[in-house]
Amino acid sequence: MEVRPDIQIQVILKALKDVILPAVDKDNKLAQEQTHLAIGTLQLMAKFLPIAYRYDRDELDRYVGLSRDLIAQVGNRAGGGAFKNLATVAAYGADVLDRARAEPAEMEKAVFDLRATVGELIEAVHAGGDSATKTSVQKLILAAAKPELERERAAVVDMGWETDPSTHAPPIEKQLPPLKA
Amino acid sequence: MTVIDKNNPSPEWIASLRKRFPTEKEMDRVLTRKLQRRAGPGYSPISLETFCASLQSLLRAELKDPFEIRDAKWLSGGASKLQVAFKLDWNQPGVGRTTTPMVIRMEPAESIVETSRLREFQIIKAMEGVLPVPPVYWIDDEPKYFPYPTIIYGFAEGVVKPSGAGSNVSGLGINFGPELRKVLSKQYMEQLARMHTWDWSKANLSSLDVPPIGKRTFEMHLNWWRRVWEEDSNRDVPLLRLAANWLEDNMPAADRLSMIHGDWRAGNFLFTEHDQRISAWLDWELGHLGDFHEDVSYILRPDLGHLAEDGKTYLYSGMMTREAIYEAYEKATGFTINPQTIKYYDVFHQYRSAVIVIASGYRPARNGKTHQDLLLTWIMGFGYLNLDNLRKMLEEVA
Repeated sequence: MEVRPDIQIQVILKALKDVILPAVDKDNKLAQEQTHLAIGTLQLMAKFLPIAYRYDRDELDRYVGLSRDLIAQVGNRAGGGAFKNLATVAAYGADVLDRARAEPAEMEKAVFDLRATVGELIEAVHAGGDSATKTSVQKLILAAAKPELERERAAVVDMGWETDPSTHAPPIEKQLPPLKA
Repeated sequence: MTVIDKNNPSPEWIASLRKRFPTEKEMDRVLTRKLQRRAGPGYSPISLETFCASLQSLLRAELKDPFEIRDAKWLSGGASKLQVAFKLDWNQPGVGRTTTPMVIRMEPAESIVETSRLREFQIIKAMEGVLPVPPVYWIDDEPKYFPYPTIIYGFAEGVVKPSGAGSNVSGLGINFGPELRKVLSKQYMEQLARMHTWDWSKANLSSLDVPPIGKRTFEMHLNWWRRVWEEDSNRDVPLLRLAANWLEDNMPAADRLSMIHGDWRAGNFLFTEHDQRISAWLDWELGHLGDFHEDVSYILRPDLGHLAEDGKTYLYSGMMTREAIYEAYEKATGFTINPQTIKYYDVFHQYRSAVIVIASGYRPARNGKTHQDLLLTWIMGFGYLNLDNLRKMLEEVA
């Protein structure tokens, strides 16, 4: 899906700088200040968003390390309940860290490449495939498109393009697989 | 896999697209120009003063007598072009000293719908006396005076929706209400019929190719949109590949050529509220010669209408039922609508719409090329409804 925060933040910033800020009353100091702050905040978001996941993973890595050092130092000589809790939470943190391997950008690129290559295959089958292969490819693509589009429609439903609520796709939160406990 | 940098298109890649998707000469020129300029600067805000200075230069070249430009102001509406209204005090040929309200219509650096101002100028000029259209005065296509290609046309009186009525952006989903709807829908259908039965062969439409009549009538036009998908898209969409191939394999044979508007819907005509008459048809940028079924299918799009007051009856284009549209059109033209051909163009329209909003909504916004990139990314959300409609249609016909 193309409607994503990276391009959205970029175009909001452009609208604020090119259109809205010049139109804000120069004598309305509060409005001027708030507009500048909105622009600055969005610029920070644009900068942080691509590294947010790596930042959090690095922070988790450091805290898991710190916790292990503390456990080794303190042992069961003190700490009581807090010591036990820390051991449990550190083990959970290490497990999460172990599962958090790929970057979001890597995942996006993998999907991007798969989409492009699936597209190339469709073109190749159309150009030179036999009738049975064409039919089976068509069926697979149509079947895959249904859940994909349900997710995409649900993700943008608040834009208001679909006026009949009875035909809305299930909420996006319900369509995505649940988080691993 | 080969990665193409679409934000910095290479001459080899541009040449390969031109070869792969042969289209009308004028559209080839426009799309090639778009790609050649893509790596250049984005859109920078242009002041009204700059607009008026460009206009001054153009008018000094075009007019011998003194003139004055006044009351310039921005117009809103539309997702693809910049528009400024102004009044011109001038010595109008055949009229004398007068004041004429006019509109400057200029492209941004790259548009969600990249089209030809020359073509738009010629078509509107040709439609004068056929349909209510604003008069067109001048064109700066190279451009010589404005930052980007521009036309100047007359300001048409009227509104796109009744005072107080709501709609989504770009005039989609306008509800005229039962009384006004009855009056406007009659004109809406009669004027469509008039355009389709009009003899275009004597008009100056040098920027339009005349496609062959028969099975290949639609080929160049389909190639236009297939090329745009390749040029502008970011993530690939397998469903659109499937759709494009189906459209290529199933082109219907046309038995005549009509002037096609390409965007015949509420939001693209003005009407005067006091006498309830359509006063002007706008947005001719998608105009071309083709099969009349194309426009008829467009007004039957499932996403451009709304339910009637009874909460059950769907009004296509916010005007009439499907049956009433068929009946009114066939009666007014004498043509017979082939429902299978309509289905073909139904698929095409969902395809074209998805190409425009998902691919060409993304690419110019990504490169900061327009005055309203924010609106473009908002419109992108409409594309998923298009794609789902397309999926359902393909499941039915493929």
